[in-house]
Amino acid sequence: MTAIAPATLLELYESMVTMKLWDQTALRLLQEGRVLAGYHSGRGQEAIPAGGVAPLRRDDYLMYAHRGFGYTIAKGMSLAAMFGDLMANTAGTTGGLGAGIPHFADPELGILGQGGTLGSCFGIATGAAFSAKYRGTDQVVVCFFGDGTANRGAFHESVNAAAAWKLPVVWICENNGYAVSVPVAESTAGRIVDRAAGYGMPGVRINGMDVTEVYRATCEAVRRARAGEGPTLIEAICHRFRGHYEGDPQVYRTEEETERLLALDPITNLADRLVADGIASEERLGELEVRVQDRIDRAVQEASSAPMPGPERLYEGLYV
Amino acid sequence: MSQATATRTLTFSQAIREALREEMERDDRVFVWGEDVAVYGGIYGATAGLLEQFGPRRVIDTPISETMIVGAAVGAAITGLRPVAELQSSGYFGIAMDELYHKVARWRYMHGGVFTVPLVIRLPEGAKGAGPEHDVSPEALFLSASGAYVVIPSDPADALGLMKSSIRDDNPVLFFEHAGLYAHRGEVPAGDHLVPLGEAAVKREGTDVTVIAWSRMVGESLRAAAQLEAEGIDVEVVDPRGLRPLDLDTILESVAKTGRVVIAHEAPKTGGAGGEVAAIIAEEALEYLESPIIRVASADVPIPQSRYLQQFLIPTAASVTEAVRRLD
Ligand SMILES: Cc1ncc(C[n+]2csc(CCOP(=O)(O)OP(=O)(O)O)c2C)c(N)n1
Ligand SMILES: [Mg+2]
Repeated sequence: MTAIAPATLLELYESMVTMKLWDQTALRLLQEGRVLAGYHSGRGQEAIPAGGVAPLRRDDYLMYAHRGFGYTIAKGMSLAAMFGDLMANTAGTTGGLGAGIPHFADPELGILGQGGTLGSCFGIATGAAFSAKYRGTDQVVVCFFGDGTANRGAFHESVNAAAAWKLPVVWICENNGYAVSVPVAESTAGRIVDRAAGYGMPGVRINGMDVTEVYRATCEAVRRARAGEGPTLIEAICHRFRGHYEGDPQVYRTEEETERLLALDPITNLADRLVADGIASEERLGELEVRVQDRIDRAVQEASSAPMPGPERLYEGLYV
Repeated sequence: MSQATATRTLTFSQAIREALREEMERDDRVFVWGEDVAVYGGIYGATAGLLEQFGPRRVIDTPISETMIVGAAVGAAITGLRPVAELQSSGYFGIAMDELYHKVARWRYMHGGVFTVPLVIRLPEGAKGAGPEHDVSPEALFLSASGAYVVIPSDPADALGLMKSSIRDDNPVLFFEHAGLYAHRGEVPAGDHLVPLGEAAVKREGTDVTVIAWSRMVGESLRAAAQLEAEGIDVEVVDPRGLRPLDLDTILESVAKTGRVVIAHEAPKTGGAGGEVAAIIAEEALEYLESPIIRVASADVPIPQSRYLQQFLIPTAASVTEAVRRLD
């Protein structure tokens, strides 16, 4: 296996740090009562959006999941616009409709949006991949979804069609062990990765807490898709550090369990490796964090100054 | 453009096919998919010959996966294509309801209007002896699906013109086709025949009664009008040609003229779109009414498979005639 270039490792690190600090900032805004939208923290799972989006080109398509805002951060969406959506003001991508259960989209960046009904991503990903092939481009679609979402019937219909038609999709299942409160072992027969064989496509199961594993697996799946070799299913085993939503009493797991997870933090683990391998000093990583926080603070400031929409906003953008 | 007077005779099914063919010739972004639409040409023949002309890239047989058929059409539409997707029966709406109601209708709005969703979902409906799931006319379910147009032709000329306009429109269109109409023949204008969406057609002018009808009930209402003429009752038949956009001006103008209203559709009365149309008339034009509004519709029971029993359930010209006679 070829080593990942130090510059790429640093980019992946910065991407994850941005997601973490974004999350902290969003939680602070939530506590301050400034968030008018729902939010599902992505803390602990940063390696998957970071490693899964980094291999994409600007014109590749992204269907993202509801867990944190890492996917769209990695695809290059404006931080201020996403904060605007959290605050439901006119700085937001939705122009004030509000979106923390994200409905961010940007056709220029290939960000195709997200549905509040889980599993909406499957059909749309298959359709976007069909479209890329139809138009004769070599664009690729990456579709992220949780272990719970994998049990929607739409998964079967869309994954089957994409495999039958050899469409350029990378299916990335983030298996964090729970769908809200229900453990995957209670809800799911067999291993999710093994479904790939049933559809005649490659399936790989990886450690989703290690950004280098996610990055490598996605690079290979994207390569296959772009070369016209069809879809791949990646099951990334991971852990969510916080509740399903803020305020989740987490009666379904013990405090010891959540505390043990912290040792698996994908960000501190990569930092340790970067320092041990001499790629970056602790000091440099510290500076990076300050720089990212500054970028986020400026985005919050920019978003905060935007006005709320008027009632006329309700009627805009429904029809062409 | 050919002369305005030139026409050709087509069945309703051929008219749909001609619309698809013409628009596919015009625009490479238009493609057709659904179950059995390619080699077989569609179970109602509405896509016959398209595979031969346009090839498997643009005419695609899908798996029996209605959720995917509609969901993936949305994915294709927001990435630059103009899908025409067929559900083999509108009775399968439930399998794709999340996709129809939330994705087709709302993907654009929900994401701040950054996309358009230019697609057409073809939905064969209506009684044909296939039983309670297949024979439904579920258009009223989509009255609350703001964001999606609901278009319903009643004859071959409108089927062709409305389909062409639906394909060209940047809004998503749910296109209901009554299965009992596919074999009906009619004159269709030659040339690039476009019927604007959201424009009602006065299918017959009259002064005494307004019958508002769509889909198969338009033909039934015209037959009723011919019979009532002999009794000295002059019936106006207004076909809204869909439920959204709804051409209120034409409807209200007719109501103001006649002062009497019958609304006829094949779906059951309760939950049928006639209730909505009647409510609008009551809100906007009560002062013109000389008689209570009467709805002609199926009874509130599932549709049996037996054609024998269907004759006692499905409204016909006689049901419309009888309703008109009951008006004050
Ligand atoms: C169709 C549908 N069913 C239920 C929900 C409510 N819901 C939101 S998130 C969630 C759990 C999803 O679990 P998973 O896919 O594993 O993702 P995770 O939250 O663990 O990241 C549920 C049940 C929904 N939004 N949509
Ligand atoms: Mg989960």
